[in-house]
Amino acid sequence: MSDMTQTSSNPCDIFVRGAKKGFNLAVGNLMPNIVMAYVLTDILTRLGVMQFLSEVCGPVMAIFGLPGPAIIILLTTWLSSSSAIGITAGMVAAGTISPHDVTVMMPAYFLLNAQIQYMGRLLGVAGVPARYWPLLMLASAINASCAMLIMNWIVL
Amino acid sequence: MAEETKKTPPAEPAQEKEERIGVKAYIALAVAVAYFSGALSDVEGMKWLAAFDFTTLSGAFGKIKEGGNFLGTAGVGARQGFLFALSLTPAVMLALGCLEILAHYGALKAAQKLLTPLLRPLLGIPGATGLALITDLQSTDAGAALTRELYEDKIVTKKELIIMSAWQYSGAGMVNNYFTIGAGAFSFLIAPLFIPFILIFIFKFVGAIFVRVMLNTVYKGDFKDE
Repeated sequence: MSDMTQTSSNPCDIFVRGAKKGFNLAVGNLMPNIVMAYVLTDILTRLGVMQFLSEVCGPVMAIFGLPGPAIIILLTTWLSSSSAIGITAGMVAAGTISPHDVTVMMPAYFLLNAQIQYMGRLLGVAGVPARYWPLLMLASAINASCAMLIMNWIVL
Repeated sequence: MAEETKKTPPAEPAQEKEERIGVKAYIALAVAVAYFSGALSDVEGMKWLAAFDFTTLSGAFGKIKEGGNFLGTAGVGARQGFLFALSLTPAVMLALGCLEILAHYGALKAAQKLLTPLLRPLLGIPGATGLALITDLQSTDAGAALTRELYEDKIVTKKELIIMSAWQYSGAGMVNNYFTIGAGAFSFLIAPLFIPFILIFIFKFVGAIFVRVMLNTVYKGDFKDE
């Protein structure tokens, strides 16, 4: 069955093949991650951690025109951007962050995407000596910070 | 061994096709850019162009009540997370379906051809690394595997390997991730879809250039033999 669609070069079949990948990704990856993220957000909100972080990290996040709780999203992105997007949606729904904040953070989700996972999946596989990993992480953090400053300036 | 036999078939046809980058591939790339950019969503006097716009074709869920779709308002926890993820699924399917078609017609090969001349001046790495870098835009794992092969085949040095990896590491798999995972945030964006996307792409280079400079200065001693 999958072999038949694999060899076909009919655009409709190719589309279906990709859409199937998309469905599997949504169900197998996005859905569990987002359910996890929503529950985590709920727990953190109920425990008052959100409130605490927003007060503590407020000044740093303000550089990028972001509210304090945005730090949770940025830290989560480091683990998994799908979880981060899930938390984002939860926070927008709760009014903790605004569409403006999401727009500013948009490049950062991907510039910091899953760096913890990718240490193994990318740097390990490619054979980059571990001694240089911190340098590459620093570069990513600089990338994300600069991109957020630019976004903040664009959407002003 | 089984690993190796698995790896070879996709690599070979890719190289074969590389020689035949025709007009079709550039058209496919141009279509990809136009389709995902959002530029066609609302062209004055040419509304029909919206039929070729990703966000438009992603559509909208019907409203259950004034001011909301089936997600309702003020839901929380696992149930709301599930519904939210469900609401993302159609756009993810549409995005990957279209990316599959555009990749089939060579959009990525055309992008590779356009990217290659930039690699030496900007990053100081050989043009032959273009395929690995472009592959990384779609698949982190495939890009990493190709990168390792380039080093093992001595096409790149250790230093070039680190610079290549820096380019890949920040914003890994950006094309697929942006249009699948990112789709969850598209409805919140108050700037056009393509602006964050272009920034991500530009900063991949900025980060890699930073790493290149660091390797040439702070870490200079490590590469004396190269």
